[in-house]
Amino acid sequence: MKRISSLQSQFQSAILTLGDEFDDKIVATERVGVKQRIGIYADAYRLRLIECLQDSYGALYTLLGDDEFDRLCRSYIDTHTPYHYSVRWYGDRLAEFLGATAPYREHPYLAELAEFEWKLMEAFDERDVSPVTVEDMATIPPDQWPHLTFGLHPSLRHLELAWNVAAMRSAADEDRDPPAPERSDQPVPWIIWRQQLRQFYRSLADDESWMLDQTQSGDNFAALCEGLCKWKGESEVAIHAAGLLKQWITDGLITRIGT
Amino acid sequence: MQKPAVKKLPFLGFGLGLRTSHYETVLAELPSNIDWFEILSENYLVAGGKPLYYLDAIREHYPMIMHGVSMSIGSSDPLNWNYLEQLKQLADRVQPAWFSDHLCWTGLDGKNIHDLLPLPYTEETIEHVAGRVRQVQDFMERPMLIENVSSYLTYKDSAMSEWEFIAGIAERANCYILLDINNIYVSAFNHEFDPYEYLNFIPVERVGQFHLAGHTNCGDYIIDSHDHPVIDPVWELYADAVRRFGPVSIMIERDDHIPPLNELLPELDRARNIAQPILKEMAA
Ligand SMILES: [Fe+2]
Repeated sequence: MKRISSLQSQFQSAILTLGDEFDDKIVATERVGVKQRIGIYADAYRLRLIECLQDSYGALYTLLGDDEFDRLCRSYIDTHTPYHYSVRWYGDRLAEFLGATAPYREHPYLAELAEFEWKLMEAFDERDVSPVTVEDMATIPPDQWPHLTFGLHPSLRHLELAWNVAAMRSAADEDRDPPAPERSDQPVPWIIWRQQLRQFYRSLADDESWMLDQTQSGDNFAALCEGLCKWKGESEVAIHAAGLLKQWITDGLITRIGT
Repeated sequence: MQKPAVKKLPFLGFGLGLRTSHYETVLAELPSNIDWFEILSENYLVAGGKPLYYLDAIREHYPMIMHGVSMSIGSSDPLNWNYLEQLKQLADRVQPAWFSDHLCWTGLDGKNIHDLLPLPYTEETIEHVAGRVRQVQDFMERPMLIENVSSYLTYKDSAMSEWEFIAGIAERANCYILLDINNIYVSAFNHEFDPYEYLNFIPVERVGQFHLAGHTNCGDYIIDSHDHPVIDPVWELYADAVRRFGPVSIMIERDDHIPPLNELLPELDRARNIAQPILKEMAA
């Protein structure tokens, strides 16, 4: 065990840090030397991770182009070793990296785009839970309504975007040129979710965003209506809240009604 | 002492690797000349969504085998039981006749290089790997196959050939071998050995499955890239393998530059056309 673990440790650091302590452990042939043999593994390691990041961050890749994206990947790879058994998770720190590292941090839409794309990927293979239907809702007697709570689909991601990164992603998905980065005056709330096999995203008005947050924290219908008074007159809040709920149900966002 | 007989694994016929870009076509056309699919296990170790939906839908029509890349059976790290737990859950869902991974290691100290790194061919390694295969096989309660990988370097420590190494582990672990014909060809080129010597050493009863694939010839060495059709010398090696090992389930791997499904089917037919006359002759 000792011998094999020291060989593996040297091989791994030859791949990760390109040192030469492993060189004299392997056989050179006339045709292919030691450096070249190790180099095949060191290159393959980086290329595989770059390819993985291209898959996870399609719009960022389109936006930056081959060379710039390659440079970004290589500096991410130099500072982030994969630990998960599935390469799918390798890019989980890219948004954070873009937000903290020069020159990327001077262009904050890059980190935001990465965050958006990562959440899309999370929604892609999140748990399946069958949603509640409008018919389910209709069977509930009106006197129970004030006490109702609602469970949300596990694929739902709720985030705030200051830049037009959703439009960048749509453009990339449809093979169009990405729009120029544009910052809105106020951060805009967005949701990402999956309905059956399809992924969706849309922006929310502030009241809907607030109601979604409170629903997530378990507020009942009466409490939601009360809070919505900040945006609507008291006589219309119940109708308004019921309308938003119906939309959520149609979108497959509600998976449980608690009474 | 007589060795206990090794039970031959069932012959599933001629299969393909299941790839995302083919999901829809497979379900729409249910091609009858694909006998079974090999899935890449890691692609389905997810919570839900498309991967599992298509997995279940296609499984209803075809037998499936699970093929993994992350077991790191040769690593000196402890086995990753969290991974194995999930692999077993997937096996409960897929009900494969067997599962496989590569005779390699993929990382140390919890890191994952995401590559199939070769091992030193020593007694110590045989002992180490065989013990781990036994543990995994007991845990999974299904036959395990270990696959020979393409490699680009040899350790000075190696004290035996690759074929003695893999056969030694299969014997000692009482597991099966997934013989990748292309990998034998690639490694034979890269390390200058005779691929036929390799084939002829492997115990017949241990071989449970074949892989065929294309590769990239870089002149001085060959990279196992799975992005091209199978080349003629590999087809010839395959014919020889069929003559030696008889009816062994076979599939063609394509992982890059994946063409539409109907362009892969003639390659599968070619495998069938090579194997069937030989098998008929052997049965007579
Ligand atoms: Fe293979």
